Amino acid sequence: MEDPAVLIPTSVAEAIESFGAGGDIAIIGGGTILVPEIRLGHARPSRALMLHGAGLAGISREGTRTTIGAMTPLSALSSLGEPIAAAVSNIADLEIRGQGTVGGNLCAQNTDAPRGDLQGVLIALGATVRSVGAGGERSEPAETFLPGRADRLVLDVSFDAPAAGAYAYLDRAHTHEYTALAVTAVRTADGTIRLGANGAGPHGLRLPSAEAAAADPSAAGVAALADVQLFDDAIASAWYREKTLPVLVRRALEQLKETA
Amino acid sequence: MKAVGARLPRYDATEHVTSGTRYVDDVRIPGTLWAKALRSPHDNAEILSIDTSKAEAMAGVHAVVTFKDVHKNVHGHIEGLGIPGDEPLLAETHVRYKGQPIAAVAADSEALAQRATEAIEVTYKVLPALFDVRKAFDADAPQAHHWGNWYPHFEGEMDRRQIRKGDIEQAFADADVIVQGTYRPAAIEHVPLETQVCQVVPEAGGRFVVYSATQAMYFSMGVVAAHLNWPLNKLKFVGGTTGGGFGGKVDTATETITTLLAIKSHRPVRWRWTRAEEFLFSSTRAAWHMEIADAVTKDGWILGRKMLTLHDAGAFARFSPYGVTKHAFHHTGAYTIPNLEFNGFVVYTNRTPSTAMRGFGVTSVSFATETHLERIAQTLGMDPLEVRMKNATRIGDTSPNGIPYTDPSTVPVMQALSGAVGIELPAHYRTMTSAIRSGEDLPGHLVAQLGNPEDH
Amino acid sequence: MNITINGTSRIVNAGPLTPLLHVLREELDVLSPKAGCQQGGCGTCTVLVNGEPRRSCLLPIAAVEGAEVRTVEGLASGGKLTPVQEAWIHHYAAQCGFCTSGFLMAATAYLEKGGSDDHAEIAAALGGHVCRCTGYVKIYDAVAAAARGESFDLATTAAGSRTTIRGVEL
Repeated sequence: MEDPAVLIPTSVAEAIESFGAGGDIAIIGGGTILVPEIRLGHARPSRALMLHGAGLAGISREGTRTTIGAMTPLSALSSLGEPIAAAVSNIADLEIRGQGTVGGNLCAQNTDAPRGDLQGVLIALGATVRSVGAGGERSEPAETFLPGRADRLVLDVSFDAPAAGAYAYLDRAHTHEYTALAVTAVRTADGTIRLGANGAGPHGLRLPSAEAAAADPSAAGVAALADVQLFDDAIASAWYREKTLPVLVRRALEQLKETA
Repeated sequence: MKAVGARLPRYDATEHVTSGTRYVDDVRIPGTLWAKALRSPHDNAEILSIDTSKAEAMAGVHAVVTFKDVHKNVHGHIEGLGIPGDEPLLAETHVRYKGQPIAAVAADSEALAQRATEAIEVTYKVLPALFDVRKAFDADAPQAHHWGNWYPHFEGEMDRRQIRKGDIEQAFADADVIVQGTYRPAAIEHVPLETQVCQVVPEAGGRFVVYSATQAMYFSMGVVAAHLNWPLNKLKFVGGTTGGGFGGKVDTATETITTLLAIKSHRPVRWRWTRAEEFLFSSTRAAWHMEIADAVTKDGWILGRKMLTLHDAGAFARFSPYGVTKHAFHHTGAYTIPNLEFNGFVVYTNRTPSTAMRGFGVTSVSFATETHLERIAQTLGMDPLEVRMKNATRIGDTSPNGIPYTDPSTVPVMQALSGAVGIELPAHYRTMTSAIRSGEDLPGHLVAQLGNPEDH
Repeated sequence: MNITINGTSRIVNAGPLTPLLHVLREELDVLSPKAGCQQGGCGTCTVLVNGEPRRSCLLPIAAVEGAEVRTVEGLASGGKLTPVQEAWIHHYAAQCGFCTSGFLMAATAYLEKGGSDDHAEIAAALGGHVCRCTGYVKIYDAVAAAARGESFDLATTAAGSRTTIRGVEL
């Protein structure tokens, strides 16, 4: 193991050029996941791309559209309203939220813990992810972006302001625990109900069967089981997730109704 | 008496809040090497070969040690208490738990030391592993330990810690109800915020200074000296500052191996475990399996207790025989039961070895006994406080191992607690004391066993 | 590369991905931040970076080039402890002391931003920090007392918070 070659671009264009077609390169956003992984030798990339100076941070609004740069710290999202505010306040503690980034959270791998709290949230919001990598720049819905996220450099995510949003999650006694399972419900401006889940598959998943049954929150909860790929990990079993997913779907939908 | 009753500040508080306190990892000696251990990737395996040559040849690697470098590789932590050693400092023929150290390396940097451990080649014959104490006695159980699946050396040759008191068969014959329960508290990691850590510095004149986070300075010093076959005066231990221990830093986990590396490299050496090592490989509070059957009268007197304890020692004995002995002596909790049959086994499994943790051996039985008393109360339809007050240990009662109680506190503590939580005890129990039993505190069938010996 | 530690500019030679904690402890001999877990889980390494509390074990040094870093070594000036340091002593908020540096820096940031003695707000500010010895009650007491601007008699220790069960004080 040698130390990775480190690239520190000073502009977006330079970052895109440095990333190229991706490959054996670790993208360091805030560093909260990868810095210890690399130091402990768990991750041994040959190159590391540090984005802190690349100019990818910031939130902009145009009409009802919000765009969040990939390097925006999670703490900056608490002013964006529900469901993002609730989801963000449940990520780690304020020190980690000040350092971790939207892009890092979206691209987090779930190999040993259900990381990536915003994945299900952005799916529910119908967010668009703009990324670069092999084949150039691409804009696509979050749910289609996520399976291939390891090979992409995220530039920003954008979404239209929802009419209402709700976030239901398995609460844990301590700040440090990853959230074992979370469900986001969104009512879009045109009244459509969208549902996303975290901790219910290899990355955030949309819950189309539950969306179809959304008028009846309890039925939607049961229907959601058809949309997920439940798994065992150190903080929850597949059995436990199976028992709690319907509850969280129901709660998120009921919460959404209350914000009518 | 300036201190008793006074609210004195901690003697070290100012140093703590100004970062004046020097923990082991804060000791800075120029030229210090980093240590890392090669640990077993298997739960149970035979070691077929160990080849350290590639690691030794790496630039920046200054020492590699294996069992060959240890004068007395197997030394029991409490051989002085008659408990023979069973655990090699560095594995030689077998590894018995995942994470067991096989070799250690001292190198110029932490990363290099890690790479050097990965260059050590070990071949194994993987064996089936035992994880469940309940399966240890099965004829087809995997063999977890070279002595078999349970510790065979209580009092030299007993395979269990046992207690026989009174007439257990009569107690069960006299009982109205037999109340049974099984209790299984899990293993617990101590999680000190300071992981296991040690620095060893060679001094001119052949003495080695050991900066240790140990909770047991002279004990650890004796363990290191015994492994090395050195007189104590070749070691200088510097300790007293521990970043949390809770029992887990009674084991001499780092000092001996770090000293071996310092001897071999003639350099100062620091060994600091990662958090992952601390969680996975440092000793834990043991898991326990306890089965209780109590012979109980319908008015709530516990006449006798039969108890089987399986203590999960993990791969090696360490302090477990001592813990099970304490457990046996406390196995009736804060209560007196006149007739007892207790069998406690130190069971070997291929889990991380367990050790002391706050209330060593006793918290397990407190949990079991208190839960079991609730079960007795529910079975009889009685107030659980009444069951406790009735059977509370009193002056003149004896402990399971026959020690007379002179100042037991069950009664006053129960009275204070019931008051604090707003539960009114019946008048009789409000005025009860710990005095020697008499009258209605001493029903006929217990007179002979619990009465004042001077009365009869 | 330069960073400023407690008001003094220091030159750093470590590689860009090296965690700030490693630079502080192993290169600059700034020893108050502790290597408790080195993966962001315990809070013993928290320092202030441009006034914000951060886990120094997670921060790559290149990302804080030119930053102002403050540690416990920079709290007291001229032998005079800060109120939160005094509160820690008076309220018996340290036992083994290993978590203390990280807690003190998180508490310092909280108080400098005008934090109150509200229990939930203190919990949100310190929630990423682990203590295994005293428990958290005395730490809350210390931060709350400092937030109220109390003064502290360092020759004695404050009465602790009382535990209550079903409304009855024990």
